[in-house]
Amino acid sequence: MFKHLLFCFSLLSLFIVPSVQAESDSERVKMLLNEVDDLWRGQSSYAVTSMHVKTAHYERTMKMEGWSKGKEKTLFRIMQPLREKGTATLKSDNHIYTYLPKTDRTIKLTSGMMMGSWMGSHLTNDDLVKEARLEEDYTAEISFEGERDGQNIIEFSLIPRLDAAVVWGKLVLIILEDSHIPVIEYYYDEDMVLARTIEFSDIQLLGGRERPAVLTVVPADKPDEYTRFVYEELSLNVALKDSLFSLSSLKKR
Amino acid sequence: MKLNTLAWRNLWRHKRRTLITASSIAFGVLLAVTFTGAGDYFYTRMIDAGANMGMGHITIAAPDYNRAPSSQKRIQDADKLQAMMTDLPEVKSVVGRLQGQAMFASARKSIGGTFIAIDPAQEDANNNLFIQALSEGEMLTSTAGKGIVMGVDLARKLQLTLGKKVVYTTTDVNGDIVSAIARVSGLFRTGVSEVDGGMALLPMQSVQKVLGYKADEVSFIAVSLRDQRASHAVRDSLQSQPEFQHVDVLNWQQTQPDLAGMIAVDKGANRISQLLIALLIAAGILNTMLMSVLERMREFGVMMALGMSPRHLFSLVMLESFWLAVIGLIIGVIITIPWYLYMAETGLDLTSAYGDDFSFGGVLLDTVFKIRLFKESIIGILVGLFSLALLSGAYPAWRAGRIPPVESLKAL
Amino acid sequence: MNIFTLASRNVYRNRHRSMVTTLAMAFACTMMIVFSALMDGFAIGSERNVVSMNTGDIQIHLPGYRDDPDIYSLIDNADSLVAQFRADAFYATERLFAFGLMASDQSSSGVQLRGVDLDYEPTVTDIDQHIMTGEWLSADDQHGVVIGKKLSKLLDVGLGDELIFVGQTADGYMANDSFQIKGILKSVSATIDNAGVFMSNGMLRELITLPTGAHELVLMRTDRTGDLTLRTEQLKTALGDDLDVMNWQQLMPVINRFLETAHIQTLIMMIFTYIAVASVVLNAMLMSVFERIHEFGIMKAIGVKPKQLIILIYAEMFIQTLLAVLIALLAGSGLSWYLQENGLDMSSMADEISFAGLAFDPVWHAALTPNALLMPTLFLFVIAAIAVIYPAIKVAVIQPVDAIHHQ
Repeated sequence: MFKHLLFCFSLLSLFIVPSVQAESDSERVKMLLNEVDDLWRGQSSYAVTSMHVKTAHYERTMKMEGWSKGKEKTLFRIMQPLREKGTATLKSDNHIYTYLPKTDRTIKLTSGMMMGSWMGSHLTNDDLVKEARLEEDYTAEISFEGERDGQNIIEFSLIPRLDAAVVWGKLVLIILEDSHIPVIEYYYDEDMVLARTIEFSDIQLLGGRERPAVLTVVPADKPDEYTRFVYEELSLNVALKDSLFSLSSLKKR
Repeated sequence: MKLNTLAWRNLWRHKRRTLITASSIAFGVLLAVTFTGAGDYFYTRMIDAGANMGMGHITIAAPDYNRAPSSQKRIQDADKLQAMMTDLPEVKSVVGRLQGQAMFASARKSIGGTFIAIDPAQEDANNNLFIQALSEGEMLTSTAGKGIVMGVDLARKLQLTLGKKVVYTTTDVNGDIVSAIARVSGLFRTGVSEVDGGMALLPMQSVQKVLGYKADEVSFIAVSLRDQRASHAVRDSLQSQPEFQHVDVLNWQQTQPDLAGMIAVDKGANRISQLLIALLIAAGILNTMLMSVLERMREFGVMMALGMSPRHLFSLVMLESFWLAVIGLIIGVIITIPWYLYMAETGLDLTSAYGDDFSFGGVLLDTVFKIRLFKESIIGILVGLFSLALLSGAYPAWRAGRIPPVESLKAL
Repeated sequence: MNIFTLASRNVYRNRHRSMVTTLAMAFACTMMIVFSALMDGFAIGSERNVVSMNTGDIQIHLPGYRDDPDIYSLIDNADSLVAQFRADAFYATERLFAFGLMASDQSSSGVQLRGVDLDYEPTVTDIDQHIMTGEWLSADDQHGVVIGKKLSKLLDVGLGDELIFVGQTADGYMANDSFQIKGILKSVSATIDNAGVFMSNGMLRELITLPTGAHELVLMRTDRTGDLTLRTEQLKTALGDDLDVMNWQQLMPVINRFLETAHIQTLIMMIFTYIAVASVVLNAMLMSVFERIHEFGIMKAIGVKPKQLIILIYAEMFIQTLLAVLIALLAGSGLSWYLQENGLDMSSMADEISFAGLAFDPVWHAALTPNALLMPTLFLFVIAAIAVIYPAIKVAVIQPVDAIHHQ
């Protein structure tokens, strides 16, 4: 209902570093998932991303730049289109603020808006905010390893912990066995009905290593719709001041 | 003394007229009992239902919580305050509740609404309307559990059924956004779309943990009274105690001004109707007494000529009114008692008038028209009708006393 | 001698007694008229509250819209439908809705934007009359909004204050604009009080980029006396399954039940009032005949036939009742008219009145309907006629000697 902005520009929230489960497997599972996680995460980062949204009712593209420091501080600002240019969102610890250039106001995001679609996309604000907590929420195991559809893959099944505040029933993540690059991630609801899919594609050199530059989110009940993120620029471990993540820097152009 | 006997005899000189007038007074008793009783019953039900929807008859809340509720505003010594009130004679139950706004989300959808966290051990159908309105599944069982009981429409919109999980996102004690999970254990249906489509009950201890509340911290304490009419008195006495100085003590009129307004207006309308009918009864009595005075002008003239003072004549007619009222009230009480007993016990079942699709029965609206009278209402009715009868007799009595003897002798 | 002339002479001769009887009846009849008018006013008023503030008689949506108010659930041919309804004895208007966040300097709250047609909304509902402070929307103000009462408290704002809206446009962009509060509504319904923000259709269309279509069509019958259920069914048949047609009774079942209960209570009250009136009239007529039995006895003794006597008594009754009715019509309609114009203001007892999410008007207006005048009048004649049956028969059969000695 409430369309709100929050973009952990690195999209790390879509990934999970789960806690260990079985003794034997645990170290390997943890290592692999950490590696996937590290694809986009550093001590700090800067990125330029474009987003393309297609729904039954509209198609739109936007471009944004963002900065992050640790897990708790994120700032991003919309560059295009013109009608949204300058809109900026700051996540600092547990507080989320949005600056609206048209009306020159900063608004604090409330709990009521967390489940709303983010910028007209197929992600909710909540999807983008949860990152820091998600690793506590799932237990992971390798549910398949070997050749499937001509590729050697590893399939992880992530089950939310009983008391985790997660609407999903199960997450399935598939990565390539050799490069550990993610291929696809499935989100299932409680009845194990597929709710959405995230596909990773266009592997290229970004920020110093090979990684998928394109992420496509497809809602299962509307297979014709999607939201696609394309990384145009990414640099990790850049020097960023804490003052960048303040209310005053929200308004700066 | 002699005047009294005379008045009594005079009345029975016109049996038919006296009985008709007396029965109109008796009818007034029946009527007043029915209307006042219906009001007393209906209002009490509405007030109790309102109280059982969350805030109780008396609400102990943090200062300003009632005007602008937020999860930061809370009572921090709930256990102590609760213990102080539990044993008061007027009090039926005392429960702490934690209320707030939340976003409820399933894998399919998310909807904003209100939650009330309760301690299931303290709540039952007598102080919680939602337990009474439970239509599917069961109530929360443990205060530390993961259950949630929500309105049927909310569950339907979220595409949830019993046993499914729902994530609720709300604001914690520091104003930060927090979420937690719950599983649907039951559904309720009150028939009010705002409630069925946007309310949920959660277990107290779990919510306290999520919001960062301590064990004896709650949003407010809801006090149910044995008799809702005590709400003013109980509130005032609590307010004066030193332990309650740091909190707001409110009665249901303050927490539910719209319901209070509704009842006040309905009462007003009821009063106006009763006033009109009272005027009619008064007109009947006035008519009878005036007639009887007019037709006895000659008689009064003679009596005055024989040395009776105008004051005596006035008293005579007033005494006639008095005895007329007494007879009327006695007949009234005799015919009203069986009617009242029937209406209080069984009532008029209006279900057939509503048809079979009445699915909300018993929670907010009654399909049975019942009456119940408060003691003070009984006294009010009897005193009211009695004074009405005497008042209506006053003018004819005054006329009787005013008749000059000579003219009245000529009159017929 | 003409029986009516005789009767009127009799009435005049006993003018004291006649006056008391007539006045008692007139008073009773006046009370009935006022009471009926008040009750009709209550019924009309509460239905008006329900229907004319917001809901209208009939609403039309796309199927499923009411459960899931999706911005794209648009009735595309809204304009032509509305024009068609207007030609078919309805007042009709279209509405648009959008959801989002409204922020003031102090706080923010989720809101429902309600785009209304400034020309036609007032023909269907009275929402434009229901302003607590400030004024209703006007076409030349491109930033003015009118908001719900509780929302103004939640946001802690007053007239003239600025509000910022953030939401999403129909084409996926961010909808963001500032508005100025022009008016604050009185209580309407829980949803409108807590979250309603009214603006002109045009402003909302521009804000959310939705150039055509409407989410809701609201109809009000031009003649509200007919059978609503029937009209709803007719519309349903005419519009088919593509549109969801519901009348207010179906939209608000609990309120409907509540009003039905109130109607039954009104009916019970009415019966009680009539019984009270009957006892007054009965007594008055009985007395006016019985006290003159002596006189009737003499008439019998000089050869007046029983049938003639009965006719005479009825003629007297008729004259007195007619007089009473004339007085009552005058007094009753005057009083009812006053109550219709000015109403009984109950707001001193309560400033907020609502039940099951619906607000009620604190001023109770009477409604001087033809029924409120006709029914009491007829009833008075019937009761009076019944009241004299017994004394008239008694007079007809009594022996003159007994009658003359009758006290």
